[in-house]
Amino acid sequence: MSTDQNLQNLQGNRACALAAIHAGCRLFAGYPITPSSEIAESMSAELPKVGGVFVQMEDEIASMGAVIGASAGGVKAMTATSGPGFSLKQEALGYAALTEIPSVIINVMRGGPSTGMPTRPAQGDIMQARWGTHGDHPTVVLVPWSVEEVFAETIRAFNLAELLRTPVIILFDEVIGHLVETVDLARFQNPQITDRKWADGKIEGFKPYRDPGDGVPMMARPGDGRRVHTTGLSHGESGFPTQNAGEVEKFMSRLLGKIAKHRDEVERIDARCCDDADVVVVAYGITARAAHRAVSMLRDQGIKAGLFRPITLWPFPESAFKAVAEHARLVLVPEMNAGQLILEVERLVSDKTTVAGLNLFYGEPITPQQIVEKAEALLSQ
Amino acid sequence: MSDFQIRLSGSGGQGLQLAAEILAGAMLSVGKRVAQSISYEPTSRGGLSRSDLVIGDEAVDYPLVTDLDCLLILDQIAVDGSLDIIRPSTVVLMDSDRVTAAPKVECKLVSMALVRAAQGIGNVRTANIIALSALAELSGFCQAATLRQMVEERMPPRFVALNLDALAKGIELARSAGSPE
Repeated sequence: MSTDQNLQNLQGNRACALAAIHAGCRLFAGYPITPSSEIAESMSAELPKVGGVFVQMEDEIASMGAVIGASAGGVKAMTATSGPGFSLKQEALGYAALTEIPSVIINVMRGGPSTGMPTRPAQGDIMQARWGTHGDHPTVVLVPWSVEEVFAETIRAFNLAELLRTPVIILFDEVIGHLVETVDLARFQNPQITDRKWADGKIEGFKPYRDPGDGVPMMARPGDGRRVHTTGLSHGESGFPTQNAGEVEKFMSRLLGKIAKHRDEVERIDARCCDDADVVVVAYGITARAAHRAVSMLRDQGIKAGLFRPITLWPFPESAFKAVAEHARLVLVPEMNAGQLILEVERLVSDKTTVAGLNLFYGEPITPQQIVEKAEALLSQ
Repeated sequence: MSDFQIRLSGSGGQGLQLAAEILAGAMLSVGKRVAQSISYEPTSRGGLSRSDLVIGDEAVDYPLVTDLDCLLILDQIAVDGSLDIIRPSTVVLMDSDRVTAAPKVECKLVSMALVRAAQGIGNVRTANIIALSALAELSGFCQAATLRQMVEERMPPRFVALNLDALAKGIELARSAGSPE
């Protein structure tokens, strides 16, 4: 009971599950793993109420397979895991990327490598999310920083998966997954939902991988009479395997280029106090919450600090970032890993400004004070 | 009241997450915004367990605790992990039996036989609710009536009466302990 009926206390993981159902997800296949287990638990309770299906699979590989199968059949589908399970899903994730089957994968990051620290937060899967599966492939990765944003970005993940016909990964850390916050979900009552772009028009001569112009082929509704061949082998417009250089070049260029054609829908950032910033802190997830507080603390001391927060981590929002970072004296990248996103930051602006990292990977969140002290130390050098 | 910070700490199995969830619900019911985070070990019982709350009138910007207003310590294992964020003004309520070496930092320390009191009312598992009630009574962050209402809403029906007894016991202990030093 609340004095404001719209307010509720909601956990990040549960917000993710509720938002998925809100976005139209009707199949969850997974193998519960800390710290993501509440997503599976919530899905098992909530999906049957809306006619959906929850399947606890025998492992993470099978879970990803089930998600791809369900989605190929026309059902919005999701799985959720943490580092060890995310590793197991990589091969199937590449299959979904190549066959262009929409899917949503949640990775609630914990300490790694291997089984690591199951109940402790980390941000060590940043590069795995980009490059974990082999070969060049399109990647969309979202990194929410609050319970409310987990809800918003989960809905957006399903929309982007359908819009782009590609797997979309949401990364959050153990702190955000287990965090309970008072949220107002009223603005999500009627969210904009993107549904599958089904093939229409003539059945004869249908090419399942023909580019209609925006880089994203129309999908044949199973059983509608259109002939479809789905394979993880490189293929041309017909969907049948080919190693013909011209066909493969054309196919791969479209596959890798389709995200860029929808850059406006894909990229999302949050820049705060960056206009006059001498110090730009680049952060995501719970570390961005600490960075936000640190920026206020630095400003209180007269240091012009700002926060640049990619909400879409991959593809990294290059232009927006360069616009705010190039004029800064210092770009500080705090991460709960040994230095991953900083590599991208360095690639983009290290010729224009100083880039430094704050890298803590012992299973405790980075504090605002640690970010402030690092910034002060770097500025006094 | 802005950014009031509470930590409930002890060992796994002492019901600290449930106590925090009840407190978070209670604060929401009186119009506050909360952020509740947890830390625990990968064991089903034992090991450090704690749940932290940041409570504000507006949405909480940084959701983790940095300077505690109140701290509950139900087990020795939880002492060291909080030393950095105890301030001279922090009200620290600790179990007099389970905590053998009190935190050696300046604070407003109160020691009570919370677990023994739980055994006294018939169920050791009510130590969490006795402690929550005592801490609320000592530092005034939540009305007793609000906690009672939340216990009635959240607890399984067969445990409501027992936990209402626990709330009453916590108030009794806090009143007999007097003001925090």
